[in-house]
Amino acid sequence: MAKYILRRLLIFIPMLFIVTIVVFTLATLAPGDPLTGQQLDPTIDPAALEERREALGLNDPPPVQYINWLSEVATGNLGDSLYFSGRTVQDLIWSRLPNTVYLAVFSLFITLVIGLPLGIYAARKQYTAADYFVTTFGFFGLAVPNFFFALLAVYFFSFQLGWFPAQGTQSSASISGLAEFLDRLHHLILPGLTLGLASVAIYMRYIRSEMLDVLSSDFVRTARAKGMTKGTVVYKHTLRNATIPIITLLGFEFGTLVSGAVVTEAVFNFPGIGQLFLTGIQNRDFPLIMGINLLIGVTILVGNLLADIMYAVVDPRIRYD
Amino acid sequence: MNLKKWWSFLLALTFSVLLLAACNGGDDETGTDPEEPADDNGEEPADDENGDDDGDDDTAGEASEGGNVNIAFFSPPEHQFNPIYYTSTYDANVMDFIFEALFRTDDELLLQPHLAESYELNDDQTEMTITLNEGITWHDGEAFTADDVVFTYEMISHPEYTGVRGTYADKLVGYEDFRAGESEEFEGVVAEDDQTVIFRWEESSVTPEFNASFPIIPEHIFGAVEPGEIESHESSIATGEVVGTGPFMLGDFVEGDQYVLNANEDYWNGAPNLDTVTLQVRDQAVITGLLESGDVDMVIQPDGIVPSDVASVEQMDNVTLYQPQDLGYQYMGFKIGYRPSEDVEAGVIDTDNFIENEKLSDVRVRQAIVHALDREAMVGGEDGEGGLLQGSGQVLHAPFPEASWAFDENADIGLEYDTDRAMELLAEAGYEDTNGDGFVEDPNGEEYVLTLAYPTGNEPRENAAIVIEQQLAEVGINVNVDTPREFPAHSEIVENDDQSIDMYLMGWGLASGDPDPGGIFTSHVPYNYTRWVDETSDEMIQRGLSAPDAFEQEYREEVYSEWAEYVSEQVPYAFLWSMINNWAATDRVGGITEDPVTMLKDPHLWYVQE
Repeated sequence: MAKYILRRLLIFIPMLFIVTIVVFTLATLAPGDPLTGQQLDPTIDPAALEERREALGLNDPPPVQYINWLSEVATGNLGDSLYFSGRTVQDLIWSRLPNTVYLAVFSLFITLVIGLPLGIYAARKQYTAADYFVTTFGFFGLAVPNFFFALLAVYFFSFQLGWFPAQGTQSSASISGLAEFLDRLHHLILPGLTLGLASVAIYMRYIRSEMLDVLSSDFVRTARAKGMTKGTVVYKHTLRNATIPIITLLGFEFGTLVSGAVVTEAVFNFPGIGQLFLTGIQNRDFPLIMGINLLIGVTILVGNLLADIMYAVVDPRIRYD
Repeated sequence: MNLKKWWSFLLALTFSVLLLAACNGGDDETGTDPEEPADDNGEEPADDENGDDDGDDDTAGEASEGGNVNIAFFSPPEHQFNPIYYTSTYDANVMDFIFEALFRTDDELLLQPHLAESYELNDDQTEMTITLNEGITWHDGEAFTADDVVFTYEMISHPEYTGVRGTYADKLVGYEDFRAGESEEFEGVVAEDDQTVIFRWEESSVTPEFNASFPIIPEHIFGAVEPGEIESHESSIATGEVVGTGPFMLGDFVEGDQYVLNANEDYWNGAPNLDTVTLQVRDQAVITGLLESGDVDMVIQPDGIVPSDVASVEQMDNVTLYQPQDLGYQYMGFKIGYRPSEDVEAGVIDTDNFIENEKLSDVRVRQAIVHALDREAMVGGEDGEGGLLQGSGQVLHAPFPEASWAFDENADIGLEYDTDRAMELLAEAGYEDTNGDGFVEDPNGEEYVLTLAYPTGNEPRENAAIVIEQQLAEVGINVNVDTPREFPAHSEIVENDDQSIDMYLMGWGLASGDPDPGGIFTSHVPYNYTRWVDETSDEMIQRGLSAPDAFEQEYREEVYSEWAEYVSEQVPYAFLWSMINNWAATDRVGGITEDPVTMLKDPHLWYVQE
């Protein structure tokens, strides 16, 4: 197992390398640079902009820029942001990452807590009114656009009922400790629900069809035949076998966990990596784009590795040598 | 785990969420201003006109000491809170509370002394002696002196300075040598003593107050920093202390969410009434709801209420709208010429090399296009009905909006909406529909198609592209509307003279500084994106700045009025509209100073009335 993990980790390095080259090429192919937007202000001398381009290295040929960037990264530094003047990329990422992680973990929690039980329930009551109801409910969540659901949630739960704050990550910058934690949790609920409910249907459908599949397999019939209760069969034998695809799904989710939810972050003004990434792309801030991509790349690869390891835990028949 | 456990777990979770909601829900009614102190606070009695010592009760409309005001932004600042390096207008808004300049504009957009107490100019306006106000201190208690002024101008002229604000200093004596690192002394700005500073220019300065109005940064903080390191120094990027002379100081913040500004009790113009101002980043889609519920007190520059929300905000009893005209404007530029690609490559601008765009070089064609545009309809009615702007704008004929002193209200200029005249002009120029397809052909009988490029990001402007296509089709001009590009991409094809485009949509955001159009319309300047070469116009622009006549504003007003008429007939641009700002404040906030360009003038006078 240890050997397997080591081998996988070693394969990461060339993969990440290729990812950075592709992203860099795409980022530099896009027209414009971080300074083009400043030309709306005619009091700025174009010659000064040109000097700044020179100072930032934007006039270097792309391969030189890439090598400069890579040598920064080799020293453990993600470089200076071009758009956020005076700040480093890791500083920017660190300032946004906690929000993204809170939001992702909380929404994933909501997805699983609602999606899995509903899926199991639907599988047990296949083709009943309850099954159809649950399925419709799930697809409704999937079909309603995120921003629309977000605005509805703000309107009802915040403006009408006043239960949850409509915007932001905390109500005051000067609180700390437990009060801050509870306050942040309170701010997390609406965006978390918005994001979480949207993917309930995916997990629900997966677990339902997988359960049905396993329920109709021979060993289940055998277990029932030898007198085990239905509950034991469903939760001990079937569920465990049905979680394999869910683990695969979670492995992928790990990557989106970091890339964030641009729309939800925007509507609730929940400043996370998604918004930062969008700002970076819109302003051609390639060190920032590259930094976030690297982060996403690493988390996707780690997520998949964790999923592989989890397979072996859930299903002991799976072995890695 | 069995099903019962699952359900009870779910139930427990639901309850805890609801419980949490209920606990905090109660807070929300009073909790919008967590910093607001109890009414019987121990603040010293107010020493300004708005102070109200018996502010202990909650009588409606009474001013009270202390409290917090929430201001909403639609985008987060970039966290570059140093005036010499900032670029975003959101950062500028934060800095408006913190930093001050020697001069600032009054309500007629004329510059008046601010940190300066008085000033004298010599006869040919090459030297200005400024006396500073006494008793001004920085936020950390250090005295503000003439050395800080000198230091600020030295930093924007320094060899290692990589920012873009050099235009404030580049006409000062000795700038070139200092910038090149050949001289240690900057003769252009000299501190005579602690309270006196002298500016010297190479040539007569027509706008001396403007040139001396750059926000001042503290020498005692940045003097110890390597000039090349200032941009990323902690006093610039807010992880440490940002120190200015203004009425508020930057306090706690949650990046990208909210920024608390604390009152500077030692402010030289009088201690602020408020304890704090909180700048919150909020989504534009929910802003009306937040205003109505009182979670947000002000929505101000650079955003304001979007035109489609104005009607509903007007309905709110608790909100006042402030609607000054913006100095910026939107236009459709005609690519009259292109730089050859060698020149673009080399970064050269040589008017002799410009390649003429034959499709638009005939002025009658450009005039016809302007006649064909119903700009009144684009702006929409006075009553806020219809149009792309729902009435939140004004049609423009020259680059001076009504708010500018260069705008001549008596001038009858511009080309009105008149499709018949448009078709007449086209026919005169030899553009007629020869093959009966509904569109005109050029004088050689070739197909005539104009390509219009436009950027994403400004909704009325995006929609204008389609309206322009339709309106021009009505007079027989075939417009090919390009797919919209993101702003940096759009800006690049315009700036680098992409020869596939004939017309482009863009805007200029003009500062309150000076109306001189030279930086945009002079033939050889980079910002002359249309590559319009016109000696008459260049000569007029030059005249508007020529000493000593131009020392008199009336003289300049005349010159600019003449130039405005000329430019509206030569139409390098089809000027579209200037926006009207829709700034809003709830009635909870009192003491707001009305001003044509900012809501942030004298925030120390603001107070909260319950």
